[in-house]
Amino acid sequence: MIENMTEIAISQLLSETQKMKYEDYRFVTASCVSLGDDGCDVIYHFDKDLEMKHLKLRVGKGEELPSVSKIYFCALLVENEMKELFGINITDIAVDYGGHMLLSDEELESPMAKQQITIVEKKGAK
Amino acid sequence: MSKTVIPFGPQHPVLPEPLHLKLVMQDEIIVDAIPAIGYVHRGLEKLTETKEFTQNTFVVERVCGICSCMHALAYCQGIESLMNIEIPDRAKYLRVLWAELHRIHSHLLWLGLLADAFGFESLFMQVWRNREKVMDIMEETAGSRVIISVNTVGGTRRDISKEMLTKISVIVDEIKEDLKQVEAAFFNDYTVKHRLVGVGVLTKEDAYALGTAGPMARASGIKQDLRMTGYSAYGELDFEPIIEQDGDSYARTVVRLKEVYQSINLIKQCIAKMPEGEIVVPVKGNPNGEVVSRVEQPRGEVLYYLRANGSKTLDRLRIRTPTFANIPALLHMLPGSQLADVPVLILTIDPCISCTER
Repeated sequence: MIENMTEIAISQLLSETQKMKYEDYRFVTASCVSLGDDGCDVIYHFDKDLEMKHLKLRVGKGEELPSVSKIYFCALLVENEMKELFGINITDIAVDYGGHMLLSDEELESPMAKQQITIVEKKGAK
Repeated sequence: MSKTVIPFGPQHPVLPEPLHLKLVMQDEIIVDAIPAIGYVHRGLEKLTETKEFTQNTFVVERVCGICSCMHALAYCQGIESLMNIEIPDRAKYLRVLWAELHRIHSHLLWLGLLADAFGFESLFMQVWRNREKVMDIMEETAGSRVIISVNTVGGTRRDISKEMLTKISVIVDEIKEDLKQVEAAFFNDYTVKHRLVGVGVLTKEDAYALGTAGPMARASGIKQDLRMTGYSAYGELDFEPIIEQDGDSYARTVVRLKEVYQSINLIKQCIAKMPEGEIVVPVKGNPNGEVVSRVEQPRGEVLYYLRANGSKTLDRLRIRTPTFANIPALLHMLPGSQLADVPVLILTIDPCISCTER
């Protein structure tokens, strides 16, 4: 139902994002949907002259997802948010809060994930 | 030279809401800034998973008081798109009218806070005196001043009488005249310009690369305003975004001040062109599928991603607010700035922590 949405694999994420940057698209944000045991759907939203393009991929539980913050620095906040609220193991974020950007040090759960994953499992530092 | 880390916030006179910045300083110059948020996160996105899609309109209005009307507008627009609902024309105009009233009160609130931040108390009071007139219109048309709950899936919950529309037209004209008397202080006053001109410069290229939104982007010369897409009744109104080129704190002030006049103009156009007729259509069934809905709030673009499964509750409601998009630009502007400029720099992104920590 969403126009201009392309489904990609995790291995294509960095090259497709780099392509967006090359085509002068602005990074808007990323959205995450928890699917329980199946992991999460992650949708990256881009914009150019008020026309949007979206990249959609599925991340399995425990699977690593590379950060796009080296390509679009502004992705760092939403990636930290997804990491701690959904428990996605996003690697190499430009500024990694280790799972505690929003959550306190005592909080170990990923509150938006339907399947609870602890901070220890997603390799977050205290 | 040795470096010092100065904690700025979360409690600070210039911050109406809690935001913490770790400022790494060399003498009086900032060399790095690391933000810390999460003090007032409410988990509203999670809450929406437990409410029926019709009830969520009231939840999303609680994301932020200043732009509550636009949050509901973006949400309703998304649900209407999923359910193929065409709302009545009058409802489209009413939505624009209330949205522009919200933009005026948000920008006047910000201009007052800015005046207060650089110590111009009388200017702060003059601006807020006009804001009160807008708040009174809200109360008279919707029954409350801040969270007005006028939008609903399928149209609006309230109508505005012809007499009230005439009254609104007179009041916004008064605001325009009053504002013309104080605008010289923002545009020409030596002290004000000294605090704003050349402070926190964000080039067009940086603003674009950092994903900035709203007046932040437009003050750096980016022609980006979602009202250009013509959602609601904007497609039937004369509208051209306000653009400035300098990208400094002064340019951001000029954009917001000029946008108040522009909103007054849009309100007048709405009143002149508002068609008669119904304000809401009945909604049958439940939404299914996924959609992205975007609206131009006072602080910039808000994005709603909705995923529905054909039941009364949504699988996911995701909100990206403009402040969230503008924080990376703040982190870019702070290094190289003087410590004394930090309050003004933070204010010129018009931060809404309530939105950021929805």
